[in-house]
Amino acid sequence: MSTIVATLGTDRSRRLRAALTVLLAAALAVGAPFYFAPFQVFQLTMVLLYAVALAGLNLLVGFGGQISLGHGAFFAAGAYTAAVMLDRYDIGHLATLPVAAAGCFLLGLGFGVPALRLRGLYLALVTLAFAVFLPPLLKRLEPVTGGSMGLTVDKLQPPAWSGLAEDQWMYFVVLAVTAVALLLARNLLRSRVGRALLAVRDNESAAEVMGVRLALHKTLAFAWSAMFAGVAGCLYTWVIGFVSPDSFSFVLSITLLAGLVVGGLASLYGPLLGAAFVMYVPSVSQDVSEAAPGVVFGLLIIAVMFVAPTGLAGLPGRVRAAVADRLPRTTAGLDRTPETESAPDTEPESRAASEPSATVTPADPAVVDAEPVGAPPRTEKE
Amino acid sequence: MSEPTTGRTESAESAEPDFLKVSDLHAGYGQARVLQGLDFSVARGEVCAILGPNGAGKTTTLRALCGMVRGRGSVTLNGTELLGRSPEQAARLGVAHVPEGRGTFNDLTVEENLRIGAHLRTGLGRRGRAGRAAVAADLERIYDYFPKLRQRSRQAAGSLSGGEQQMLAIGRALMLRPSLLLLDEPSLGLAPLVTRELFEIVRAVNEEERTTVVVVEQNAQLALDVAHQAHVLEAGRLVLSGPAAQIREDGQVAEVYLGVSVSSRKAG
Repeated sequence: MSTIVATLGTDRSRRLRAALTVLLAAALAVGAPFYFAPFQVFQLTMVLLYAVALAGLNLLVGFGGQISLGHGAFFAAGAYTAAVMLDRYDIGHLATLPVAAAGCFLLGLGFGVPALRLRGLYLALVTLAFAVFLPPLLKRLEPVTGGSMGLTVDKLQPPAWSGLAEDQWMYFVVLAVTAVALLLARNLLRSRVGRALLAVRDNESAAEVMGVRLALHKTLAFAWSAMFAGVAGCLYTWVIGFVSPDSFSFVLSITLLAGLVVGGLASLYGPLLGAAFVMYVPSVSQDVSEAAPGVVFGLLIIAVMFVAPTGLAGLPGRVRAAVADRLPRTTAGLDRTPETESAPDTEPESRAASEPSATVTPADPAVVDAEPVGAPPRTEKE
Repeated sequence: MSEPTTGRTESAESAEPDFLKVSDLHAGYGQARVLQGLDFSVARGEVCAILGPNGAGKTTTLRALCGMVRGRGSVTLNGTELLGRSPEQAARLGVAHVPEGRGTFNDLTVEENLRIGAHLRTGLGRRGRAGRAAVAADLERIYDYFPKLRQRSRQAAGSLSGGEQQMLAIGRALMLRPSLLLLDEPSLGLAPLVTRELFEIVRAVNEEERTTVVVVEQNAQLALDVAHQAHVLEAGRLVLSGPAAQIREDGQVAEVYLGVSVSSRKAG
């Protein structure tokens, strides 16, 4: 959450820095496909599309406080929607995107209903069931889905005017969709609906007495989240050109959740980091030990969670806090209260500014409101 | 703030003595029956204090009014039955509840918390320029009542002190533009002077907005200073009701039921 709070700050220098970061990231993102080899560009494309799915999962798990072990199934639903449409009808790739998005939104709306009655582990189990039963179902529906053989469809082809290679064109299309999706997720969170979602996560009954409809917002969280996963699945079909039930086993769902937690829950750029983790770590670990990439993957997850329990996105904040704690007190601690020292993430200026104007004087101990409730949110919500 | 607080002898002179009417209210949790038939009314624009020892049913009374616990009997607000409605529906009818322990959204900023209070007023079709201006104006109004919140508007609510969180919870409820404000134990865990400041603000809100307030308090002294009417609750029944000033005067009775010496403060 502190990232949201931080980005909301009107501080001008901070804004400038954010703008520069965005510009730099955009330049790197646009330049990358001209620098890397086609296979590497393909890997980057996969990172981007996983980031869309993780951003969706983040809405549900990170910001909505619910859990889903079935997002691989929404991903699969999006992928199959696109594949079946491309297989059966002579339509362009772009036409499949809104259908996959809308279809998965509705599917998520339906799956939001159990979320109203269940929570925590029970909800996890129900969503896991969805992820487990979908692949066999896809195998059974052979006339439509091609059974266990799957469906092979055309990949996205670059138009002649672009002068780009196939991998480069796919990269740019996926980059555009990802950028829009991430922006949408971010704006959603800052809207009235997003605020309500966060309020429900923080304190359900308090949100309800403020007139927030719990059922509506919990179900909507599922629907939005499923929509993002469906869009990611649709992109997957465009890029890979092949879907089969075995591509979407329940392991995918668990990998997505692991990727999100490793990347950083309730962080805006955590999904990107998590997607990179999901994409690169298995292939890197394959290089380390061909026999057991799973072991290496698992050990790395443990290592990351040990070093950065708030995910990779929370790591810089933790490092900053650790460094601030170790700084000698003589440099910073003379005119500050201990409270400010232990809270390096809150801006000292604003605190210092607010202290003297308060009507109370520190000289009168009875006046000081002696109950600071909760520590400042130093890191993202775990 | 300025005048020494000697209780409110003036009445709100409301034309609607039964703005909130509670009749034969029973409520409880599962097998535990907490409220055993309450009857009282609150006139529009008045502050009503509900006092009593721990476990008397004060919080349960408020929860029954706002729909958080199910009740039997009848509770009408301006003629509309409140019982049997969800908290969200009660909020739509203008009931704003400041729960015990504040219930601020700690990961949201102060301003986001306040905007949640305006959640119902910013739904579809009400998002136009006028709606937005009204919410902005209300934010300013809340910040005028609670200047500390203005200073911290971009800070996470979790980083506020207990007193500030209580102010935030009250401010958030006011963003609903309620016709009935329910305050559950606003003094809980706060230093005495902070509590006094809080009650002065409640009094100011009541005077300026004409908001009807029901406040549940263990600190009888403070609550009686602000209230017009007061009821003493014990073991789920009302044992004493009347104008706040009268209950203050009736020191002996108050001592018995409230366990505090009401008259002692006058000496000191």
